[in-house]
Amino acid sequence: MKSLSLDHVALGAALLLLCVLPFTVTGYVLYIVNLLMVFVVLALGMHIVIGEAGQFALSHTAFYGIGIYTAGLMNSHWHTPFILSILAGGALAAVLGYVIGLLALRMRDIYLALATFAFGEAMQWVFLNWEKVTGASNGMRMQPAELFGLKLTHDIHAYPFVIALTALMLWITVALSRSQFGSALRAVRESDVAAMAMGINARAMKQIAFAISAGFAGVAGGMYTLFTSFIHPESLGFQTTILVLTMVVVGGIGSVRGAVAGAITFGLISELLRQALSVQEIIYGVILMGFMMFKPRGLFADRKQRAARQPKVEAVKGTAP
Amino acid sequence: MSAAPFLDIQGLTVNFGGLTAVNDLSFQVQPGTIHALIGPNGAGKSTTFNCISRYYQPSSGRILLEGQEIGHLPASRMAGLGVARTFQNLELFGELSVFENVLLGCHAHSTRTLSAFLSRPNSETQDLVDSLLERVGLLHERETLACELDFGHQKLLEIARALAIKPRLLLLDEPAAGLRNRDIEGLNRLLTQLSRDDGITVLLVEHVMQLVMSISDHITVMSFGQKIAEGTPEQIGKDSRVIEAYLGKGVELE
Repeated sequence: MKSLSLDHVALGAALLLLCVLPFTVTGYVLYIVNLLMVFVVLALGMHIVIGEAGQFALSHTAFYGIGIYTAGLMNSHWHTPFILSILAGGALAAVLGYVIGLLALRMRDIYLALATFAFGEAMQWVFLNWEKVTGASNGMRMQPAELFGLKLTHDIHAYPFVIALTALMLWITVALSRSQFGSALRAVRESDVAAMAMGINARAMKQIAFAISAGFAGVAGGMYTLFTSFIHPESLGFQTTILVLTMVVVGGIGSVRGAVAGAITFGLISELLRQALSVQEIIYGVILMGFMMFKPRGLFADRKQRAARQPKVEAVKGTAP
Repeated sequence: MSAAPFLDIQGLTVNFGGLTAVNDLSFQVQPGTIHALIGPNGAGKSTTFNCISRYYQPSSGRILLEGQEIGHLPASRMAGLGVARTFQNLELFGELSVFENVLLGCHAHSTRTLSAFLSRPNSETQDLVDSLLERVGLLHERETLACELDFGHQKLLEIARALAIKPRLLLLDEPAAGLRNRDIEGLNRLLTQLSRDDGITVLLVEHVMQLVMSISDHITVMSFGQKIAEGTPEQIGKDSRVIEAYLGKGVELE
């Protein structure tokens, strides 16, 4: 109970800070906060498929890209109310995620990771070569998002909507995690054989986890279009998936607060290292290795999950007297 | 035995490649009884067990639950039909709490509507979980992770989780394997209670003969994939084919 109230204090402090921020800082800082919120939603999505359902999906950036292009194109060409653009991007990503989830029914662990990695690479290739839609290697310029005549032309315009959407996605994640649906996902993560004996349709759970996770990435993409006017496929490659994976793992795999804290920490680090692009990857790599070796449960994992693990006692086979 | 069988296995055959693990096996489990399936290692008991719980697909034969064919259903449908199972080598949700493990047993009856599925478990469900934990003596370990329990407690947790299904048929795969004598006595009491007080039909695969002989109403003996004997514990204890299957020909048992 103590840690729960601590969460509430942290949440209250964060809200207060987010309310005061627009009146005290420059547009650049707000841009960074907007970007961090996109990372938070990306990390929450990855948390659902990897942390809760235990399915190693490394195709997150592909769904993020689908969200960006869907919302960006709808905003630019049809001037759709941006809420609809974001929803459309999220829905399209979720449907595709459900289909890609079929892979999880055939394979697991490293094989699933490789197959979803391949899908991510294929999607980046599509983004890089589908000139008519994505502008290929020239990138794509996007018109400002609109809502009933209100044009989001500055970071500060986007800011309240970005914060509200992040809060909504965070609320959905926590509600799912605490529901019996969340229990069923974790059951599949721990043992799909046992989950089936409980009457849980493990196959459906895996696919739904993929769909929700992809939907989150799609929404994150839509959020990105609220405060940016340009997207280049170069930034939709595997390094973005690795960055989000680092956030989730270092934050504390399986924990919502770990995903949020990891996203903010690593979002900031990645922004600070923007000048040193080539060193960036090395630094991530070292941090990730360090955590795998010394703190595999991450920085902000739930206390319960940090409890020391005792080795499972091996069954002594009973013999007939 | 005039009542209709609760579980009716008819001509069950399972081939793995060229190996026939179970060969034309038929037996019936009467409602409310404790029925044991025994036999030497490799006799096909676990294979039979996994066919009934729908983890294996038989090559031929029929499996009837209260007269209804269930041989085509997926494993995840069995909990909803009131069929619960445990696993020979334990299949707990290791990184989840003891409470959440048993809660997941409630899945089939506590998530009937979408809104229930998307909500926290209601107080009725939570009370059921706590009462089951109390029954197997694990209430004080409620928040412990399943993987941190000792082996005997893990076995009990698996039974509590199976009971959360509100089973009418409980399938136990070697529940006594690896338990100390003291724990086997506790298991003995629990199973007797479940059968007598709760009216649950129990089918167990077991090697620990002291348990089998004391709690079973009926025993089916398998060897090399076939049924070689069946009857009450007294009949089985005297059966020459059973003694031969376990100990080999020419051995006299006193």
